[in-house]
Amino acid sequence: MRYRGLPAILLLSAALVLSLIISVMIGPTSIMLSSIFVDATAYQIIFDIRLPRVIAAVLVGAALATAGSAMQALFKNPMADPYIIGTSAGGSLGAVASIVFLAGTGLHVFAFTGAVGATFLVYTIARRGGKIPVETLLLTGVALSMFLSAMLSFLMYGSGKSLQQIVFWLMGGFWTVSWNDVHVALLIPAGCLVIYLFARDINIISLGDEDAVHLGVNVEQLKVLLLFVSSVLAGIAVAIAGAIGFIGLITPHLMRIIVGPDHRVLIPAAILAGGLILLWADTFARTFGNEMPVGIITAFLGAPFFMFLLQRRIHA
Amino acid sequence: MKTVDVVHLDVCYGAHQILEEIAFSATPGEMIGICGPNGSGKTTLLKAMSRIVAPSGGEIYYNNQNMENLSFRMLAQRVAVVPQETAINFDYTVREIVMMGRHPYIGRFASESREDHAICDRVMRLANVSPLAEMPVNAISGGERQRVLIARALAQEPDILLLDEATSHLDISHQIEILSIIRKEMEETTTISVFHDINLAAYYCDRIILLKERKIAAIGSPEDVLTREMIRLVYGIDVLISTHPTTGRPYILPLYTYGMHDAMAGRVHIVCGGGCGTPLIRRLHQAGWHLTTGILNVLDSDYRTAEELGIPALSEAPFAPISEASSSLLMEYFEKADKIILVAMPVGRGNLDNIRLLHPHAKKTVIIGSSESFEDYTGGEAGCVLGSLIENGARVETSLDSAMLHLRKQTNSG
Repeated sequence: MRYRGLPAILLLSAALVLSLIISVMIGPTSIMLSSIFVDATAYQIIFDIRLPRVIAAVLVGAALATAGSAMQALFKNPMADPYIIGTSAGGSLGAVASIVFLAGTGLHVFAFTGAVGATFLVYTIARRGGKIPVETLLLTGVALSMFLSAMLSFLMYGSGKSLQQIVFWLMGGFWTVSWNDVHVALLIPAGCLVIYLFARDINIISLGDEDAVHLGVNVEQLKVLLLFVSSVLAGIAVAIAGAIGFIGLITPHLMRIIVGPDHRVLIPAAILAGGLILLWADTFARTFGNEMPVGIITAFLGAPFFMFLLQRRIHA
Repeated sequence: MKTVDVVHLDVCYGAHQILEEIAFSATPGEMIGICGPNGSGKTTLLKAMSRIVAPSGGEIYYNNQNMENLSFRMLAQRVAVVPQETAINFDYTVREIVMMGRHPYIGRFASESREDHAICDRVMRLANVSPLAEMPVNAISGGERQRVLIARALAQEPDILLLDEATSHLDISHQIEILSIIRKEMEETTTISVFHDINLAAYYCDRIILLKERKIAAIGSPEDVLTREMIRLVYGIDVLISTHPTTGRPYILPLYTYGMHDAMAGRVHIVCGGGCGTPLIRRLHQAGWHLTTGILNVLDSDYRTAEELGIPALSEAPFAPISEASSSLLMEYFEKADKIILVAMPVGRGNLDNIRLLHPHAKKTVIIGSSESFEDYTGGEAGCVLGSLIENGARVETSLDSAMLHLRKQTNSG
């Protein structure tokens, strides 16, 4: 039922607000919130460095979790993630091209264009007679990702001195985030809202395309919408923080266990949880990890957790 | 009033034509069964009717509205589909799945109303799944899951219900349960269902459509459509049609002969009588030979066997001599047959002509039993006729088995 998830949503919301407050105080130097009124440096650290970073982490986490939920429903496969349709490979290629050829100028724009462009290409290739069969979409996404990765490797091979910068960027992180990034990231709540408005349709399409037609869903139109909005969400995430893995895969999974599969509850829960998880991963990275790329932490924690979920699934 | 009107429907997959010139209509409350061999286009017809595949020609009207002009939502308010068997990858509860049937009625920014919940509760009761409401849909049995999908279809409050072999994977008790729920609870609804089991269709349906190779081969009441000729034409098998002792509906009994017809394609005429031919008729029929027999008297048990198996048999009234007309027909049958088998039998004046007329065809005649095994009531005349038959090349086989062996050899070498 709908209210099954309400306690979880309230709890997650409270946790997120609390975490936002705590995480701006933590860092290489811990700062009490009260000190910002007396200490100009403290004010600067909190408002110009930590706050944009913390907000960006929450929004990127929310974007990846929402896009992940949508892709898992669209592909009727709980193993799908937001990058499955070429988003991360395309975004990475765009970013790396900018680093190699333009010394990093317009990196965000290149990354976003690469991510959305790759999805559009996958969509165009997989489309047949006004329809996109999900299997074809999936395979095309995998194939194009491999192709783009090959191009990426080629660029890295010839990149010389900028290789370290590339590798660092590819691992994903928030250390360069400024208020400008947050302004771009404000598109994320809008995208999440659009997906949420289609939550009931997403429930139905997760049963199967034919079933969804029988129940009055304009399936092909919904697919285009989900692909477009998800790729924009994932594209913004990649542009801001690089291709951070596992958040988009694990979060919907975890929330499905807690609140059930109804996307009207699952999507809000995933938005909150995605933000929360990435916020703490990044806080850990900048506080204890010596600015270790946050992608390492999410993968390091995410992969074993994922295997644990798989085990549970097999035993159930 | 027509709730469904299919007009000159064509469906192609690429260059393959799957359905051709399909046309039929249905009235409220009617149940129509679609039967036909695999690949005849049954499922495609339902898919075209539920907008899963686009027709390449023709139109489908629901309540006089062209399907083309209906939005997906409007179509789902009128037409509900119960699919064959669905694997559901996510753990929705039974109630959540049934509630999805209300989707076409709920606005983008709205959520389920009190009325939607009431409808949901009612249809779950009808489909007998209320006790399962909070169970995950993957934790219940196949029969229960199919009932859940029926409840979901009922929740759509459709005028037309399409079933795609909705009960094929279920055991017989669940099949009957589900079809009975549909007939009982959806009296106003037009139901169009694909059936594998013709007998199930014959019992539940008001009319039956038989599809063969993309086209409608027959449409009408079960009694009119399910004839032995039609089944042979559509499915290529021989069946017996009887009447179900309690329902009074036609009931089809397959004869379990398969595929020999074309392989051998032999035509055999059997001359017999007094019940002596029955074992041979049954065996040859089972082995797939095209048989004719006669001339027999209508009270002869050989005649009854032939009639039962649908074998053309020339007949005369009991104790009547063989008429001019019958003997010319008999000569025609002899002419057409690849082989003629004469079974040792009692011979009297009445049936002596059967043997006499064999004379020109002695070479393709096989006699089962020596001339001594014929009971001669003609005062030796029959013996003479037999003797000259053998002299002219008729082959004598001592037993049914050796005769069968001979027939097979002949066909294989030919």
